[in-house]
Amino acid sequence: MITVTSLSVAYGAVQALRDVSFQAGAGQITAVLGANGAGKTTLLRTISGLVTPTQGRVDFGSTALVGRRAEEIARLGVGHVPEGRGVISEFTVEENLRLGSMFNKTPLAKGLAEQYELFPALGERRKQHAAKLSGGERQMLAMARALIAEPTVLLLDEPSLGLAPLVTAQLMKTIKDLCEKKKLTVILVEQNAVTALRISSHAVVLNLGRVVADDDASVIGEDENLRQYYLGMSS
Amino acid sequence: MRTLAPRSRIAVAALTLVVVFVSSILAAPTTRNGVVLGLALDGALASLSVLSSRDLRKRRPTLARALGSVVVVDVALGATFFFSANTNYNLAIGAAMAIVLLGLSFLTGISGQISLGNSAFMGVGALAVAIWANHHASTPLVVTLLIAVACGAVAGLLLGLPAARLRGPYLAGMTLAFAVAFTAIVNSFTSWTGGDAGLQLPNAVTAPRWMATLFDSQSSPLALNSAWLADVTIVAAGVSFFLMANLIHSRAGRAMRLLRDNDVAAEIVGVSLARSRVLAFVVSSAYAALGGGLWTLINNSVSPPAYSFALSITILSLVVIGGIGTVSGALLGGVIYAYSASVISWITTQTGLNPQGNLASQLNGIIFGALLVLVMLFAPLGIVGLIRRLHRRLASKLPG
Amino acid sequence: MDAFLTSRIMSDVLGGLTNGMIYGLVALSLVLIWRSAGILNFAAGAMPMVATYVGMVIFVSTLGYWPSVVIAIITGLTIGALTERVVVRRLYGKPPINPVVVMVGILIVLEGVAAAIWSTVPRGIPNPFSPIDWQLAGKPIALSSFSLYEIVTALVVMSAVAALFRFTKLGLQLRASALAPEVSRLLGVRVGRMLTLGWALSTGVGTITTVLVASNFFTGLTPQVMDGIFAFGFIAAAVGGLESPVGAIVSGVALGIVLQFVGDYINSNAIILVALVILVVSLMVRPNGIFTRNSARRV
Repeated sequence: MITVTSLSVAYGAVQALRDVSFQAGAGQITAVLGANGAGKTTLLRTISGLVTPTQGRVDFGSTALVGRRAEEIARLGVGHVPEGRGVISEFTVEENLRLGSMFNKTPLAKGLAEQYELFPALGERRKQHAAKLSGGERQMLAMARALIAEPTVLLLDEPSLGLAPLVTAQLMKTIKDLCEKKKLTVILVEQNAVTALRISSHAVVLNLGRVVADDDASVIGEDENLRQYYLGMSS
Repeated sequence: MRTLAPRSRIAVAALTLVVVFVSSILAAPTTRNGVVLGLALDGALASLSVLSSRDLRKRRPTLARALGSVVVVDVALGATFFFSANTNYNLAIGAAMAIVLLGLSFLTGISGQISLGNSAFMGVGALAVAIWANHHASTPLVVTLLIAVACGAVAGLLLGLPAARLRGPYLAGMTLAFAVAFTAIVNSFTSWTGGDAGLQLPNAVTAPRWMATLFDSQSSPLALNSAWLADVTIVAAGVSFFLMANLIHSRAGRAMRLLRDNDVAAEIVGVSLARSRVLAFVVSSAYAALGGGLWTLINNSVSPPAYSFALSITILSLVVIGGIGTVSGALLGGVIYAYSASVISWITTQTGLNPQGNLASQLNGIIFGALLVLVMLFAPLGIVGLIRRLHRRLASKLPG
Repeated sequence: MDAFLTSRIMSDVLGGLTNGMIYGLVALSLVLIWRSAGILNFAAGAMPMVATYVGMVIFVSTLGYWPSVVIAIITGLTIGALTERVVVRRLYGKPPINPVVVMVGILIVLEGVAAAIWSTVPRGIPNPFSPIDWQLAGKPIALSSFSLYEIVTALVVMSAVAALFRFTKLGLQLRASALAPEVSRLLGVRVGRMLTLGWALSTGVGTITTVLVASNFFTGLTPQVMDGIFAFGFIAAAVGGLESPVGAIVSGVALGIVLQFVGDYINSNAIILVALVILVVSLMVRPNGIFTRNSARRV
């Protein structure tokens, strides 16, 4: 479980997050929605330690995360698939996965087999450079690389960006299955609210760095005001 | 606008006075006192005209810079009549160095490039003066110096063409290779350059007759020599600084600063990256060559091994210590250079080091190197930056 | 066959190969730092030089050659790591000129301090290898047990670095930190530590190189022993592409051989001139180096 309490972040004079509080329940998918520039990416980067907040706290179970370095937070079991996926193009598929499994207890071979079973397309291209993968495959690789580290929390930043609707639907299903099977706590940042709400149990809406709504996904999906003003969904 | 008219008239009057003054020297150069008096009068009027118009710098920047240069040059020229031969020699060496520093400071601070090869460009100018003077001793001094400048510019162009496409470390490495190669180049053309032994200037290269008469005939030959050499160097430095100040504030200078800060944006608004970079490199090399050429005059000879990589480091250190990209920093660096040897020998005697010992002989490099690191880490704009910071702090404390 | 092995061409090739291995090692040490930190280390000759003095001058008479080499290498690793921790760390994210200036400053300070302590007089380093060229049918072949020692050591170092990067977990982390520091941190890689390690490794490679150079009977150890070699190493690295370790080594060896021919058939002054021309021309044709695939340059 991730608990965010009165979190504020500023880049120089620009206030990116103001007094953000919410909880991402264990074993659930929590969607973080909002327009461009709402502070969604900043929120994930702060949770994983890449950005230092000006105030507030982030707790992972009973462990305080603010003040720890990103690499330490990662080793605690917080996986972060960054915006743009962060696949290392110069590495082969397998090297990317090896990098992901650097700090877990499971033997490399077993971890690899598991991921290739989950994403068969990756298994077929294991020796290829990641630069040669399609957008969907890159997203799979990024997910697999985060999963092979066996995290308890998974932060996903716009996984559907640039993917065809059919691929997106498949990806979302995979995320939901994984969450259920591995009891993962997922925080899913999405601009594509419809898709995200469909698989989430809880949702937080950000606007200009503030939380404007925090409720069950179904409630948020039904709220006309939210739909119109913040989520860009026509009724 | 109305208030400007009388003020700029004063300024024009001052400039006229400069012309009158110079032509009066040319016409009737009689006594040293007359010259000094003229200088004082001229400098006073120039500074008066600057002070009389508070917004001259804003409205007529070129004129303001010209008058400013006149004031500084006048003061320095006047001083050479009272200084000892030794001081004048140091002054000349330092003023020539200031020209070189200005060139590198411009390249680094305004255009964002770096050169570790300016010692070699100095060497090009130094050799050009010596070679030309040995073949055409009757050439006027100014022409000889301009030839040195041209040689430096051409060398700068040759090396600057690839530099246009290179950034930071690649460029630095290439100029380093040039600095290291300079000695080999000199030794490849021994019949021209005299190899490591270098060249002497022919006796014919002395002060122009009209200048010689300005100076006290009672002085020793050395004093006579260094005084007029210091004057030539000071005037050359004044002209160089004036031109540079204008270049920095010109369209080309603004374009370079834009490129340094954001090359993508600059290209979008139509600034040519390559041309701007090459131009800066050529200017910097030409300035270095002028400084080197003046050194040949001052020393009456050129010794190519003096223009080694170590000199490049000294040049870089002085620019950094003075303040990268600032005109006053370059001037300051020149002064520091003129006195660095005395300061270091003072340190040696004060600390009781053996002047022939290993440490004493390495003190120069160690101090300059350490300053290079410390200044770059803790005060990237050098002494000028520190003064500005202090000034700002004082200004913020004062009311208004 | 014997006549060919002792021919002028063959002795230039062999002599050039020996020098080229040294240039390749220097280029490799530059690439190691460039890839991880985006900094061209102008003190890449001076830092190992100090380590070599510490190992080979202080300890060689009491401990003998090989233990002193080990001490030199350990000192080199330490100097590299300390430099990164104490100085270079403050330079990340600054304009690219700042690290150039600082590393040049460190170069000058180290050379000055070394000369102040040990003087500029060359020090011979007694070692087990003979510098006398072997003979073949009465004629010298441009190889001695010393040059073979140089070549073999260089090959071992190069293979060791390659193996480290290709086959070990540490190598994977080093490469990942260089290519994608932020992503690496998100996967738990201690990128800061990798940078320190990169500097240590580079200075370690440099120290082995300097020990080889200084052990040469005809060179000896001086504070400026690496200056010229650094210039050639840089040229090799720039021609090969600062991103590519293989490119650095290959162009180092090629440069060594070409320059040996230049020195033999023209004269020794022409060596650095030709090297400069090669550098200028290659940078104009391929600003990112021959062996660099992607066109985007960092900085």
